Formats: sequence, C-alpha cells, structure tokens
Amino acid sequence: MIVAYYPGCSLEGVAREYDRSARLVCDRLGFGLQEVPDWNCCGATAAHSLDHELTRGLSARNLAIVGRMNLATVTTPCPGCSIRLKGAAMEAKKESGAPEVMHLLQLLTEAAGTEKIASSVIKPLGGLRLAAYYGCLVTRPRAVARFDDPEQPRSMDRILQALGAETVDWSHKAECCGGAFAASETSIVVDLGGQVLEAARQAGAEALAVACPMCQVNLDTRQWEVESTRGVRYDLPVFYFTQLMGLAYGFTNRAMGLKRLLVNPLPLLKRKGIL
Amino acid sequence: MDTDFYIPMRLDEVESPLQTEIQKTLGIDIETCMECGKCSGGCSNAHIFDFTPRKVIQLIRLGAEETLLTMDALWVCLSCQLCVDRCPSGVDIPRIMDYLREKAHREGYRPSRPAVALFYELMCSCVERRGRVSEAPLMLRFNILTRQYLKDLTLGIRMFLKGKLPLTAGKVKKMDEVRVLFASWKRRSVKRG
Repeated sequence: MIVAYYPGCSLEGVAREYDRSARLVCDRLGFGLQEVPDWNCCGATAAHSLDHELTRGLSARNLAIVGRMNLATVTTPCPGCSIRLKGAAMEAKKESGAPEVMHLLQLLTEAAGTEKIASSVIKPLGGLRLAAYYGCLVTRPRAVARFDDPEQPRSMDRILQALGAETVDWSHKAECCGGAFAASETSIVVDLGGQVLEAARQAGAEALAVACPMCQVNLDTRQWEVESTRGVRYDLPVFYFTQLMGLAYGFTNRAMGLKRLLVNPLPLLKRKGIL
Repeated sequence: MDTDFYIPMRLDEVESPLQTEIQKTLGIDIETCMECGKCSGGCSNAHIFDFTPRKVIQLIRLGAEETLLTMDALWVCLSCQLCVDRCPSGVDIPRIMDYLREKAHREGYRPSRPAVALFYELMCSCVERRGRVSEAPLMLRFNILTRQYLKDLTLGIRMFLKGKLPLTAGKVKKMDEVRVLFASWKRRSVKRG
C-alpha cells in the first residue's frame, strides 16, 4: 500500500528518531511511504492560537500537494499535524474529494492490524511493562480525529501487546502533558507532565510509549525537572512506539536511535534481555 | 424588610452582542450549554485558570467581552480538546477560546502571559520565513527576546549533543505559496482590527 507521508517539523528536529523508526517499521510492514514533496509546517499550536484561517490555509496547501500525488491516504506520525490536516480535510470534503488523513497509529491499526504487526515480530519484548500514553490529539476532538476511544484509547496497547510486551491499566492515558508550553510556561509542563509520570509509576510501568513528538520531549527532557520538583526519582524511559516495534522486528538500537533519548533506556532493555 | 440587597440577574434579559457574534461567525449555539460543568471538571489547567470553561460560557452570555479578552485563561489553555469531547451538547469551547484569543491579539489587548504570545508569534514568523519550524533557532530567539539567556541552557546543550537540535532544518521551495497565506492574515488583521 502506497501512502503519502507528512513528517512535520519536529520529525526533522527533536524527533528524528521517530521519523527513522517510523519509516523502517512501515517499510517492514509493506507500506510504501512517499514523502509529501515541499510540505510546509501545519502551523502547530501557534497558528491556530492566533488565526484560524492561517492554520486552515497552511494545511490546505499540504492537502493540495497530496491531491497532486494521486494518493488516497496521507499519514503523519505527529498528532498535532494530523488533527490540523484532518480539520482542513473535513472542510475541503464538503466541496470536493480530499485525501483520507490518518495518524500513524491509526494507519498501523486500521490498515495493518495487530495480527500482521505480530507476525513480523522476531524478538518479542517479553517482560517489558509499558504505559501506553496517547496524549490529546491522537483521539481528540473525537468528531475530527474519528479514531479509537478518546477516554480509554486502546490501539497502542494492542500494538505493544502484539510485540509481546505487557501494558498497564492507568489513569492518564489521554491526559495532557502540557503541550506547547515547554518553552513559554515551563511550570505547566513540569506540573502536568509530572502527573502523567507519577500515574505511570503508580501503575507499575517501567517505561512509557508515546505517539507524539511533543509528549516525548515533555516527558523525557523535562523528567529531571519533574524529579527535582516532586522529590521522586522516576527514571522512566519514554519511547516512541515505533522504536519498540523496530526493536521487536530485529532492528538495532542504533537504527532505532535509542541513544537520542535523554532518560537512558539501555539499562532497562538489557535487564529484560531485549538488547 | 429590605429585599433589594440581592436581585438575581436574569440572563434572558441580558443582551450579548458577543454571543450573537459567536453564533454567527462560528455557528456555535451557547444556549445549548446545560451548565453541567464537565468541561471545567476535566480541564487539566482549571486549577490555574482565572475563569474556568463553564465560567467562560457564562461570561459570553453576559456579554462581558472586555473581561474575556483580557483573561489569563486565554493564554494558558492547552487546546487539549477535552472540554469539547466531554460536553453533552458538543459546545466547541477550544474553538471559542481560539476565537477570543485571535480577537484579543488583533485588537491589541496586552496578553496576560506575554511570553506565551511571543512564542506563538515567533513560531509563526519562522513559518513565514522558511515554511517550516526550526526548533533550535526558535528557542534561541525566544530566550534572547525574553532575556532569559540561561534558560534551559544545560538541557539545550544535552539535546544538541544528542543531535536533537539541528541548527538548520528543511525549507519550503515554493515560499511564495506560503507567504501569500501570511499576507492575507495581515490584510485580515488590518481590516478587522
């Protein structure tokens, strides 16, 4: 299946390991990802906070390019980008046909399915206890996202289970990590991200799996600040779910960019015999 | 007995041009709000909001435009979309917050959190110039303009060494197609503001 691929800005910067692992994993599952040529930023939180028409215009340009690629589906690993593209596609669909926009988690769930995901596993992630963290925009707002359950999402849990890992039931799957406030109001991220980390710890998770560059950066790079504020040592690695898929598919930790995570995941993976 | 000390306000006797404006421009009917408070109950940042989402709806009914355009909640709303998903009437509160913020920004109200507004502006100007956001220069510019030269210095260095903050990012080739979007934003701002 050939799918248009919209990486988004973070995937060229702070989340390059998400980009690399997503491409390798999709290739292994038989998805041919074609990068949207000359794509532009979706405007993220900044544009929709200041001007609605600007945010629509930015995504409309990307959708128009996808339209010229003659592909029915476009996928993106970033929930922020995916909800902007979905919103613009919903408006465009009223007039003419717009491509189907899917977050990567949605593409893997709906177009591949857990059986296929499980059948490619070479090195099961047995014994690894994970908290699947979805954050906000993979499933919300439900009228736009139209994927999974916004209160109790399960799609990532199912994928991680298909890899042989165990997932915990916990309270903060779909709570916000503080989103775009990492630089401008850092205390919000330390507060909300801290609540997410605490909930994961209390549920007995050994690491988190995420599907969003913003969630990963907030929970990983601000974890030491959360630790010093709360006086609790968490030491919870924050993986992109595609990195975990890649490990189970036999890719090396180098190919999955594990060294780029600030909370070092290697001791945990070695302890579990995964590396 | 003096009974004048408390005269309940009757919302059906209050004119709210803002409510009419929101109905017309956004197609959102605030009258469907049942005041159940699920929006505020679920809101991650309600504990730091000066006006919680339910109060925001009430203020719109009251036509308290000045209060709404200067409130702190505008600049600490996470846009997490939880309130709209939990609203039994589907009142799109995040869209209303965007609308109010957009209006406040356009009409030159001083944001209660200048750093948040500045960050959004810098990010937009980055897209206007390159078509994409380059994180490292954005952070540097933000720190310089807010005079927080040492903010996140250690973290920034660690991230740089991990290769997480490349100094150059991709750039859009057909920048005229992007610039035209920003030009029309500016035209709209002048016309409405």
